[in-house]
Amino acid sequence: MKALVLLGCPETPSQTPMAVYVFNKLTKMGYDTTIAANPAASKLVKISDPEGLYNLNLVDLERTLGEINEGDYDLLVGFVHKDAAASFFVTFDQILQTKSLALVFSRDADEIAEFVTMIEESGSNALITSVRAFHNPSPIKVKFDRAIKEFE
Amino acid sequence: MSFCLDTYLQQSDNYEIHASKAGFKDCAMIIRFKADDLVYIKPGDEVLGVRVIGIPPIPIGFDHEKGTVFLPYTKPCHGTSVVELPIDEEEVEKIRKLDTGNKK
Repeated sequence: MKALVLLGCPETPSQTPMAVYVFNKLTKMGYDTTIAANPAASKLVKISDPEGLYNLNLVDLERTLGEINEGDYDLLVGFVHKDAAASFFVTFDQILQTKSLALVFSRDADEIAEFVTMIEESGSNALITSVRAFHNPSPIKVKFDRAIKEFE
Repeated sequence: MSFCLDTYLQQSDNYEIHASKAGFKDCAMIIRFKADDLVYIKPGDEVLGVRVIGIPPIPIGFDHEKGTVFLPYTKPCHGTSVVELPIDEEEVEKIRKLDTGNKK
């Protein structure tokens, strides 16, 4: 089983620890997990694991977008905290046509509603979980732990 | 060698940005407003050598008089922009074949 984790723009502090958390969780669930991120987001995650304890498998987001095909992954998990991240998630979801989970978060409730609507209106069958969060990763962790049970 | 939008935008100044650091919906609206002809494609369809990112149906616009195409261009940290650049008939025909016909 293979899982792909999509990271958005790294300006949200909670994304980096949650990326490591999600990678670890999916790996323990038996997924061969890959994190796709832009160079800045990728560097934040990579430096968070200086000894390579997690064997984080990081790839370039845009290169991956150019290379993937339907069925390449069994699960897609996306961090959606910006308009662009919603667009990326929907695009990967549409190409891969696989099970997917959108972790929607923002400090702004209106933004959360907007991103959820974008995903829903795309016709995606993704499981969407959303929460107000920015600096503190705990609310996202709680939502993720609950949502990922659907895929166990 | 086939056309690649990313390389073109880095190496040419023959393009125009109509919106930058915007949301996808606003950019889609600008394309609909500016273009005199439109096709609607799916996210991930390839246009000018890159997979287009967005929420379906994604509008791709043409100005046939100027011989240009309008398309959304999304980067993770910079949001979506509307880029207008020259296009030849062969590429226009390739894009037409992607038309889903779905305008909603």
